[in-house]
Amino acid sequence: MKIVAVTACPTGIAHTYMAAARLEKIAKNFGHEIKVETQGAMGIENRLTENDIRQAHIAIFAVDIEVEERERFNGVKVIQVPLQEALKNPENIFSKLQH
Amino acid sequence: MTQEVSTSLQFVFSCPLSSGLHARPASHLAEVVNQFASDCTLTNLRNGLMANGKSVLGIIAADIRYSDQCAVRVSGEDEHSAHAALRQFVAEALPLCDVPLAVSAAPIRSNTPPRPLKAAGVSCSFGVPVSRGIAHGKVVIVSRMTLPSSLSTPNKTDSQKELDHIKDAVAAVRRRIGEKLKYSITPAGTAVLQADLAMASDVFLVEKLTEQVLRGKSAGQAVVETGEFFIDLLRHSDNEYVRERSSDIEEICLQLLEEIYGASPGSAPVALHEPSVVVAETLAPQQLLELDRRWLKALVLEYSGSTSHAAILARSLGIPTLVGVRNARLVLPPGSEVVVDANRGLVVSYSLAAVRRFYGREQQTLQRRRELWSRQTEKPAITLDGQRIDVAANASSVEELVIAFENGADGIGLFRTEMIFLGREYPPSEEEQFAIYAEAARTAGGRPVVIRTIDIGGDKRVPYLNLPPEENPFLGYRGARIYAEHHQLLQSQLRAILRASALGQVQIMAPMISSLEEIVQFKDAIIQAKQHLIRNGMPFQPDLKVGIMVEVPSVAFILDQLCSEVDFFSIGTNDLSQYFFAADRNNSKVNELFSVRHPSFLRFLKQIVDQIRLAGKWVGMCGEMAADIRNLPLLVGLGLREISVPAVEVREYKRTVSRLYASDCGVMVERSIASAKVLEVDGLLGQQPLQAAQPLLARELILLGSTSKNKEEVIQEMVDAFYVASRTEDRHLLEEALWAREAVYSTGLGYGFATPHCKTDAVAADSICVLRLREPINWDSIDGERVRMVVLLALRNSEVANNHMQVFSTLARKLMNEDFRQHLLEVETADEATTYLAAQLGTAMTGER
Repeated sequence: MKIVAVTACPTGIAHTYMAAARLEKIAKNFGHEIKVETQGAMGIENRLTENDIRQAHIAIFAVDIEVEERERFNGVKVIQVPLQEALKNPENIFSKLQH
Repeated sequence: MTQEVSTSLQFVFSCPLSSGLHARPASHLAEVVNQFASDCTLTNLRNGLMANGKSVLGIIAADIRYSDQCAVRVSGEDEHSAHAALRQFVAEALPLCDVPLAVSAAPIRSNTPPRPLKAAGVSCSFGVPVSRGIAHGKVVIVSRMTLPSSLSTPNKTDSQKELDHIKDAVAAVRRRIGEKLKYSITPAGTAVLQADLAMASDVFLVEKLTEQVLRGKSAGQAVVETGEFFIDLLRHSDNEYVRERSSDIEEICLQLLEEIYGASPGSAPVALHEPSVVVAETLAPQQLLELDRRWLKALVLEYSGSTSHAAILARSLGIPTLVGVRNARLVLPPGSEVVVDANRGLVVSYSLAAVRRFYGREQQTLQRRRELWSRQTEKPAITLDGQRIDVAANASSVEELVIAFENGADGIGLFRTEMIFLGREYPPSEEEQFAIYAEAARTAGGRPVVIRTIDIGGDKRVPYLNLPPEENPFLGYRGARIYAEHHQLLQSQLRAILRASALGQVQIMAPMISSLEEIVQFKDAIIQAKQHLIRNGMPFQPDLKVGIMVEVPSVAFILDQLCSEVDFFSIGTNDLSQYFFAADRNNSKVNELFSVRHPSFLRFLKQIVDQIRLAGKWVGMCGEMAADIRNLPLLVGLGLREISVPAVEVREYKRTVSRLYASDCGVMVERSIASAKVLEVDGLLGQQPLQAAQPLLARELILLGSTSKNKEEVIQEMVDAFYVASRTEDRHLLEEALWAREAVYSTGLGYGFATPHCKTDAVAADSICVLRLREPINWDSIDGERVRMVVLLALRNSEVANNHMQVFSTLARKLMNEDFRQHLLEVETADEATTYLAAQLGTAMTGER
């Protein structure tokens, strides 16, 4: 499955990147292809292109704040979870996708 | 012989001071009146109260408020000059008399205990710190001295005898204060005693005492009733400062009683036998001075005045002091052990285990910070190729001098004295100046202090100098040029400086010297001052060094002659460059012509430095050019071996010197003076490797083996590490920024790791701090596991866009990697940890080896 994801936390110093690293790792374990955009203190990094989003089966938002440029994801199925979920139980997020 | 008929002279003025004619302006007014023999009466036309102009207390008692009309009448043999002087004083000086007292009260913190104490449920009392520090001891309550309400004294026998008693007592009290003045070691203490002396000598006080006796009172009763009269008068003032003087008059009266009866009828002096915290409603200076300094550890006062004499004295003696502590005498039981934290502004029982633990750790933190600080600042500044550069500081006050030495200054390259002369109606006395210079010399502890004699010109208003306003004061009558006319003024300053030279390594420097004659005259004046001191048996350093400011270009062409007259030179670039370019720095139309980095000016400086060094004399720089750290490579390259810089920047200069090669700097200066324009010089300077930013990692920020017991203590310990490393000066702000983030949700990320973080300018540099716990603690982690490893990230708010964020995000991602976490859990030393992190994150590190 092709997945795109966005991570964002209040200060954008630590958790945004920890969650990104975690999602990338667990997605691989599940055999998914994933690209994670981080919206932290350095702004948007590893930006999801129009193409990335169009090809994705699903978008995961692991965020504590508003996603920037959210309109890019119009027409894509989105699962939104608190960022902590991506650190605590990332497996849960992906196992839900199986169904 | 004609009989001189005394006709009184009179004028009316309206009080220009918003807080009325209170103690300080009243004392200035009385000072003027007392210079004349004539009598002077002040009448407040609003309430009809009259006062003797020679009495400070009398003037205060007339209750002269803002815009009250006052009649001044003078009569006597010198009434014309007295009248003229008073009119001038009222018109010119009086409106300026209300400058607020300098009070260095610390900022008041919100009244919350430190986090670890709050977590332990400890409650504290809060107050305003007026003298910093932390100390603990047993509570000793000192009751305030009060005048007895009635005296069981025999009825008076003979009013003449009682009057004699009073006269003797007043004289004895004045002697007593005079004696203390001789041994006063701080300017603040001297000022307090001088105020007391003025009050004890007040004519109105003596008048009231006499009046009471003549009404049939005994000497003792007269003192009590006179005291009550004045206390009542002062206590009802709208002005806090005046109200505080009521305790001074009370103290004077108590001393009078003591003289009359041989012992104080007030409270007996309190004897201290062990480390003590003295708690009182308020404390008279006399009471404070009587306490045993060996055991007096801290002061806690309920009274909230920060200008009280007790507060001023406590500060000058360095006793941690809190004022405005509500109900202190009720909540702090006598004999109980308490800690006074006059840094945070709280007092708390020392018998609680949590408090002992907190302050034990605090003591260690302060100790470590002091050690690291002095290790870093005491080191001389040496370039990478071994050239030592003395980094001295400029100072205008003893306070600034203290800051300079705390920052590791090798000396004071320029002690300005203008502040002592400005903003007053009369020149400072020799004693007043001596007290300041002596404290400067003592504080310097053997390091040189170059005191520059008064440098004032027509751009400053100094009533007693009568300097005429000038078209162009910078080319006019100023600096050493006024010395011939103001001979006495210079003499008293030179005597004060010479006397201070017996106490430390003091040197004298003359400003605005432009010719050989001037320095010869200046040296003659020093000889004259020395002779005066010899005649009076006062000690001074006979071979005290004399130098000049190099700030007039003409000096550059007679250096050979000057070198045989003076011991040292200090280049003042502010004026030198202005005169050199004939361009006013403050004139925007011409200030582009002006740059201390212009090749022509650099050539000029090089000539000066080379010539002086060739003659074997010492040359330094104290001007603005030295105050800009970007110029440092030029100064080193010019061959200057001493520079004098702003006090707070000494440390930064020393650090920067140690990152330079003197030889490179020399080459750069050669290339600079061969350049055509400032831009080229700036370009060359830009290529010099100057300050590297503080790196993210430092050994002092790696804390392996922490014994903290909870989250509060861990965060406290890490914040303390920032403080020890001088990466924060505001621990409270940093701590609260971290807790604000914890409040969103816990940063316990699982696997036994937590990553508290914040963005705040409370940190001096972006930093990573690592702490490993001996015993894991609860952090409300998402996996419920206890935390063993804490990685703290602090980013400055102002520079979010910098590249450190890249390192932080790398670190955050790495923390998701099990191998990385395992490695951190197993590192053995701080060195190993920094090396590992630096390699993993691709960043530099620093720290004390």
